[in-house]
Amino acid sequence: MHTPEHKTDGPSTMHDVDNPAAMFVVYLVVLGLAVANILLSTTPLGKSAIYIQLGIASVQAVLVAYYWMHMRRGDTAVTLSAFCSLFFIGIFYLLVFSDIWTRWRMAM
Amino acid sequence: MSIIVHDEPRVGPVPPEPTPPAKNYLNVAHTAASWLFTVDHKRIGILYLVSLTFFFTVGGLAAGLVRLNLLAPDGAIMTEDAYNRSFTAHGVVMLFLFLIPSIPAVFGNFFVPMMIGAKDLAFPKLNLASWYVYMVGSGFLVWSVLAGGVDTGWTLYPPYSSRYSTSNVTPGVFGVFITGFSSIMTGLNIMVTVHKMRCPGMTWGRLPLFIWSMYATSFIQLLGTPVVAITLVLLMVERVAGIGIFDPTIGGDPVLYQHLFWFYSHPAVYIMIVPGMGVISEVITCFARKNIFGYKAVAWSSVGIAVVGFMVWAHHMFVAGIAYYSAILFSFLTMLVAVPSAIKVFNWVATLYRGSITFQAPMLFVLAFLVLFTVGGVTGLFLATLGTDIHLHDTYFVVAHFHFVMVGGMVLAYLAALHYWWPKMTGRMYSDFWSRASATIIFVGFFLTFVPQFVLGYHGMPRRYPNYPPEFQVYNVLSTAGASVLGFGYLLPGFYLTLSLFFGEKASANPWSATGLEWVSSSPPPVFNFDRNPVVVCGPYEYAIGVDQLGRGLPEPPGPGSADDPASHDGPTGPAGPMQKETHVVG
Repeated sequence: MHTPEHKTDGPSTMHDVDNPAAMFVVYLVVLGLAVANILLSTTPLGKSAIYIQLGIASVQAVLVAYYWMHMRRGDTAVTLSAFCSLFFIGIFYLLVFSDIWTRWRMAM
Repeated sequence: MSIIVHDEPRVGPVPPEPTPPAKNYLNVAHTAASWLFTVDHKRIGILYLVSLTFFFTVGGLAAGLVRLNLLAPDGAIMTEDAYNRSFTAHGVVMLFLFLIPSIPAVFGNFFVPMMIGAKDLAFPKLNLASWYVYMVGSGFLVWSVLAGGVDTGWTLYPPYSSRYSTSNVTPGVFGVFITGFSSIMTGLNIMVTVHKMRCPGMTWGRLPLFIWSMYATSFIQLLGTPVVAITLVLLMVERVAGIGIFDPTIGGDPVLYQHLFWFYSHPAVYIMIVPGMGVISEVITCFARKNIFGYKAVAWSSVGIAVVGFMVWAHHMFVAGIAYYSAILFSFLTMLVAVPSAIKVFNWVATLYRGSITFQAPMLFVLAFLVLFTVGGVTGLFLATLGTDIHLHDTYFVVAHFHFVMVGGMVLAYLAALHYWWPKMTGRMYSDFWSRASATIIFVGFFLTFVPQFVLGYHGMPRRYPNYPPEFQVYNVLSTAGASVLGFGYLLPGFYLTLSLFFGEKASANPWSATGLEWVSSSPPPVFNFDRNPVVVCGPYEYAIGVDQLGRGLPEPPGPGSADDPASHDGPTGPAGPMQKETHVVG
């Protein structure tokens, strides 16, 4: 729950709301990064492309979480919940990679 | 905190029957608009109840078509293509439009605020929005069915669904995508409500186990549903734009779809069953007149199922080409999820031990649940074991196992909840005889339907096939006969519950002599649930000392042990009074 004592970027009030202009700028940045990611797929970056593209996607995700999901004003429980979701994403990647990384050793 | 209560009875005075308010949530307004634009959690629960009953009927009819067609080895009533569309309609409608929203949307909406002493859910408008989103998504699914159906099976595996099927995959997938948002909204609403809106004294250790189960379910809904949503978007991208994501002929990986799909869809099984487990805890304590055995174990096992349930998905993929080492890992992890499930079953059975059990319809449904869910769970271990799954995968054994858990478990828990809370929701009692008859018929019909399918599956009959060798016909006929008994059993509540609205005896505030906060207010409840804000002073299941959560005595319980039956007053566990023995008070 948002209360004045929570950390914010600037001075906060009981009825603190996001600045629509700032939200729109963030939206444009996320869109721009999406376009950049698509354009990157047409360039001959080779194996490094995946890392660059995932990096861009991560920046997009952080922007969305920080601004649009109000993480910058989230209290401890909200922040903990958000990181909890990262934990489950981690489980997903780990267990999927347990398949993909060992698939070459032996087919069922 | 644990308090030891010794021999002498500590029964608070039985409160007088609350005067029914002139206006309750049902009669406060009568226009269609008052229902369609309501933000009252109870009315929204009723909207969901009506919608879900409709879709349950549609899904049931599709199942009836499937079973009828399987009466003959070459298909009795429809073409093979129509058969594909029928079983897909059955699966999609039952899973996405009934099982997933069922208990959270109907009973979660209606009873979570009442059971924690709140006036409403945290976000009433979001709650109404979730119903509209659900109806819009359902509209797309109904459109896809009416326009010819989908023939991919409810799992929508690519590349068939994304590249080759000529059926109405696009609106069907879009419908599933939209209903997912409804699920997220409901989960979010319930989670915030449980965190922020508990009444004074309602500590986490005093929460009813139904609330714990709803909380764990919300956790899965919030974390899992976005994954399947984005997976379905990727499926549509491949189908509409031809971008290779899952189809290997254009650079995709079909196994990736299965990873993404089952990462949600296996936990979705727990979205379906965990709320049902919460219902079981409520009903079994009430009709056994016993404190729950192992409150903390049952509560945390719900959370345990929610967490471990996210780590087992690839047991659906043992024969899909995943790595051998990964399969061993998932086989082991799948065994783990049996632990919290078994904790629940053992604790329920221990709760029954030496209880003063009465056999009203809710309890009959719960006892049927215990039997059927246990069979479903144990046969799940056959499928979790890597070696046996190779033999049983994609056979009718899987169909039978899944239905034992989902129908024998979840649907019976849903019916238990409906019968348990019906007097509170409507203010009317239903026919005791017919409700017991219905529970019995459903139990028998269920066994007749699905036990033959275990045999069929073990002998190699694949699921989703419209044809089979003649030697399998006897089992298929048995199964179809059972389905007709089951269908009759399902029809009965439709009649006697509807009739009860017009001719049923008026229900008292607490007709089952239960301890939960929802029974404090009148039946049906007033608009804001309680005449005054409740203050909780003890745990949720103090049947042993015979008090509700406000510390007041309980009215005479129903059944053969009530009123003029002296036997009930004599024994140490007689339902009319406190149990004359040591007990632990939770909280």
